[in-house]
Amino acid sequence: MNLQLLISGTTMGIVYGLIAMGMVLIFRSVGVMNFAQGEFLMVGGYFCYTFNQILHLPILVSLLLASLLMGVVGVVFMRTSYWPLRKAQTKAIIVSAMGASIALKEGARLTWGAIPVSVDKVIKGTAKIGTATVQWQYLSIIGISVVLMIFVYILLEKSFIGHIMQATAQDQYMASLVGIPVIVSIGLTFALSAIITGIGGGLLAPLFFLSNTMGAASGAKAFAAIVIGGFGSVPGAIVGGLIVGLVESFGGAYISTTYQLVLIYIVLVIVLMFRPQGIFGERIQEKA
Amino acid sequence: MIQRLKSLNKPLLLVAAVIAVIGSIFIPSITSSYMLRVLNITMISYLCVLSVYVLLGMCGQNSFAQAGLWGVGSYITANVMMKLGFPTLIAFAASTLGTALFAFVLGFAFFRLRQYYFTFASVGLMAILSGLFMNWKEVTGGAMGISDVPDFSIGGFIANTESSMYFVIIIVCVIVSLLMKVLFKSALGRSFMAIRDNEMAANCLGVNSLLTKSIAFAISGALCGAAGALYANLTGYLSYQSFTYQQSTMYLVMIMLGGTVSPVGAIIGTFIISLLQEWVRPLQNYMQLIYGVGIMILMIVQPEGIIGGGKALYERYVNRKQARSDIKQSL
Repeated sequence: MNLQLLISGTTMGIVYGLIAMGMVLIFRSVGVMNFAQGEFLMVGGYFCYTFNQILHLPILVSLLLASLLMGVVGVVFMRTSYWPLRKAQTKAIIVSAMGASIALKEGARLTWGAIPVSVDKVIKGTAKIGTATVQWQYLSIIGISVVLMIFVYILLEKSFIGHIMQATAQDQYMASLVGIPVIVSIGLTFALSAIITGIGGGLLAPLFFLSNTMGAASGAKAFAAIVIGGFGSVPGAIVGGLIVGLVESFGGAYISTTYQLVLIYIVLVIVLMFRPQGIFGERIQEKA
Repeated sequence: MIQRLKSLNKPLLLVAAVIAVIGSIFIPSITSSYMLRVLNITMISYLCVLSVYVLLGMCGQNSFAQAGLWGVGSYITANVMMKLGFPTLIAFAASTLGTALFAFVLGFAFFRLRQYYFTFASVGLMAILSGLFMNWKEVTGGAMGISDVPDFSIGGFIANTESSMYFVIIIVCVIVSLLMKVLFKSALGRSFMAIRDNEMAANCLGVNSLLTKSIAFAISGALCGAAGALYANLTGYLSYQSFTYQQSTMYLVMIMLGGTVSPVGAIIGTFIISLLQEWVRPLQNYMQLIYGVGIMILMIVQPEGIIGGGKALYERYVNRKQARSDIKQSL
């Protein structure tokens, strides 16, 4: 029982971690929270559904194709709802992202219908670990996500493109002075963020049905993960995601299933009270 | 220049106000009761949007919990009237003050967090509140909701029709709008704006930012509470589905559409969005999509909202006129 909860909690947690990571990448790059990140999850899931169920491609190929398309979505999103507003006030960018989130949600409903759909599992069947029986899908989600996270780490820390992206995140003006094309670099960041979140959607689809409203709930949990982990920290996002996933699964089993979200946010508020910068966050000095 | 504008504007404003008053008195006799219900709900939304104006437009704090506070106000009224059997006025006062107190206490805790963190804490508060609304059966009726909340009544006057409720709500709206004007000019309002513009500078000038922000949150809570009380009396039925995170974002979108610089922006934004939803019913299926894309376009074209855009246009006009007369004089 406990082992099973641990595995399902970790699985959900790692997916929240993926979404949170996507948000943190965007936040570090442009300094604004992306309120439409949950919708990337939904759109990614639906792309996967299109390739897998309508075009009958194998699931791994569909995931790959869906992630490529998500890259395009990320760039388009950045070009339409962030780039024209980069000099406006933060609240304008937030509202614009909300508009994008409504548009994506409704666009998905009009394209794929309101009836929840599902996609194939990466590996079918169940596995036995000790006394617990778990679906292989859970284990494959954990596996794929870990590989993805390592990939993102290498991309950001060890590659030239990653260095460009980090330089832009630190200081856009400075980056443009040393010859980095800022729009390309920010576009890549948005694309990467959309890709990781979109793959999360494709992976979750077999466990929970896809619907056009699934983004909001996962987005809210990813917010919690970011704040718990520490704002703007990538490892923090993953750890925060895991905490949220585990609180959700254990809280759901031992305390109450109806108050799952409430539990998560109570944890969030407690963390904020005692460590406002989150677990991995650095205390930011205020400047006049 | 400004002096001349003011002296010009005063009689004009008076005429506009008189027309508005007469117009609003005759509205119930010329519209259908369905349209009146829409208007009533719109004015209640206006109160909530005004609460966002106080918090975001004046104090610069972004909250996503306004619909939750609205819900708290509604459930307080329903419970005070139905379980304790108090008259409407007491329930109204209890809703307003109770929600304000609730917001003040939470604000005192939450405003230890700055900017973004407060926004997230408010998202969390909204999630907790909607969880409570859905599941706390004794107080909120759970998923069934509360039905048959009594009508609004003072003494012998019972507002049991759409049009009588219309007058009650419009009176509350006018009083609240005038109070906003007072708040805007008061020392408290100015310290809100000092915090919005630069919190650290405000602190240096002796503004207690934690307390002031909590008061701003309490005022926004009071507005939402009053709106909630009126909503409970108007519809007579409360369901957790009304008080959602989506509704909170809607309020934010409304004020951003109108412009955050003045309450007029709140009026414009609320009415455009609420009435638009009614007028384009035939396009229902595509409405949300158009609406989402519309918000994006609006933010790109005019991030300051309609009021901000109008102001910029007007200033350009004045400047040009000035420039032209200067040229003429120099010739």
